[in-house]
Amino acid sequence: MSEIVTITLTINGRRITRAAGAHLTLLRWVRDEAGVTDPKYGCGEGICGACTVLMDGEPVSSCIVLAAQADGAEITTAAGLLERDGSLGPLQRAFHACHAAQCGFCTPGMLMSAAALLADGRTWSPAEIRAGLHGNLCRCTGYGPIVDAVEAAQRERAQ
Amino acid sequence: MLTRPFRYERAAHYADACDLLREHGDDAKVLAGGQSLLPLINIGLAQPGVVVDISRLAEGRDITVGADGYLTLGALVTHARLAADARARSAQPLLPEAAAHIGNNRVRNRGTLGGSLAHADPAAELPLVMVALGAAYEVTSGHASRSVRAEDFHLGFFTTALAADELIVSVSAPVLGPGWGWSFQEVSRRDGDFAMAAVAALVRIADGLVVEARVAAAAVSDRPVRLADVETALTGCPPGGVADRVGPLQGISPAGDAGASAQYKRRLARVLVIRALQEAAGRAGEAA
Repeated sequence: MSEIVTITLTINGRRITRAAGAHLTLLRWVRDEAGVTDPKYGCGEGICGACTVLMDGEPVSSCIVLAAQADGAEITTAAGLLERDGSLGPLQRAFHACHAAQCGFCTPGMLMSAAALLADGRTWSPAEIRAGLHGNLCRCTGYGPIVDAVEAAQRERAQ
Repeated sequence: MLTRPFRYERAAHYADACDLLREHGDDAKVLAGGQSLLPLINIGLAQPGVVVDISRLAEGRDITVGADGYLTLGALVTHARLAADARARSAQPLLPEAAAHIGNNRVRNRGTLGGSLAHADPAAELPLVMVALGAAYEVTSGHASRSVRAEDFHLGFFTTALAADELIVSVSAPVLGPGWGWSFQEVSRRDGDFAMAAVAALVRIADGLVVEARVAAAAVSDRPVRLADVETALTGCPPGGVADRVGPLQGISPAGDAGASAQYKRRLARVLVIRALQEAAGRAGEAA
């Protein structure tokens, strides 16, 4: 192996193979090589959560995973939560309805942490939802509506 | 910031990784979960020429409880897996409890046991519980293996007894014996932040009195430290009286930082020691 590695990722159902720098993080690979720009670069240290994606179903900070480490994985970003016809999915609709985004920078990461919670299938209390999102920072201080949105999506799922 | 390009080597076995480490020396860094190394690379504090990825080894992921009374964990077990593992929880609850305190859920999904121990952050949870438990680490150079006690492994700030070509393969910790209670206490500014102080305690009660105790603290020295004075002072103590046996802590040397002064950390550590001993004694009482 060398400074260039060829890897394959399936991003939101689309399989992509590229040869690119081995030093690229999963975030840079997804944004710059695959052109999927909804995960954001925030802190670069895995603290803020703006780069959160699902890697084989588990939330990870894509800024502190090497793309080469994810070779072969299924990656889901916020765009992967859309319905087949391109309309908003249930969690996204709930974020919209609850005004859970202000500037929007944290939203793609919030959505993925929330999606991981909901994928678990359990019904979470507001306190557990807060605990589940605690590694995702919102600088607009919009946490209340975000927790409301996850609860709303959870209620909709139960119906 | 933009990362300087490096060579990427994906090891197939521990022995390959050790060979690569010998070949590249100081220019190489070991990558497991990457939850400490990649932030350091991103902010420019680490600039390796070669990254040796051990995160995809088939080895190193077992969790086993042996007939010898030891819980053995592969070095590549993630914090999330350790925190959720039912066998580990029943064999030695201190370990999953400590793992559940690490970082946020994304860190726990990727971060590994061996990575945390080898990184040796003085505020880290897993080195602390390993020292409290008297655990031993199995390390390999590819050619030879040896066992290193946790207390002999953690030498100082980000400094361990590992040679440049050695890797941790597994960890063995004693299971919780009859009559023992346990506790893990940590205070940080926010959930998931580095500890201002953290304490792990194990207490054994027989005939209504404390007969044995193991206590260690993290984030108050350059490594996790056993509090031998506290352990000795507890012998013969009734479970309700443990708080009275804990004087000013010896052997710690906290450094003040933006979050808390040295004096604050010193007092906090003593409070956490008392809470941990009370909880551990209570649990030992329940178990007896």
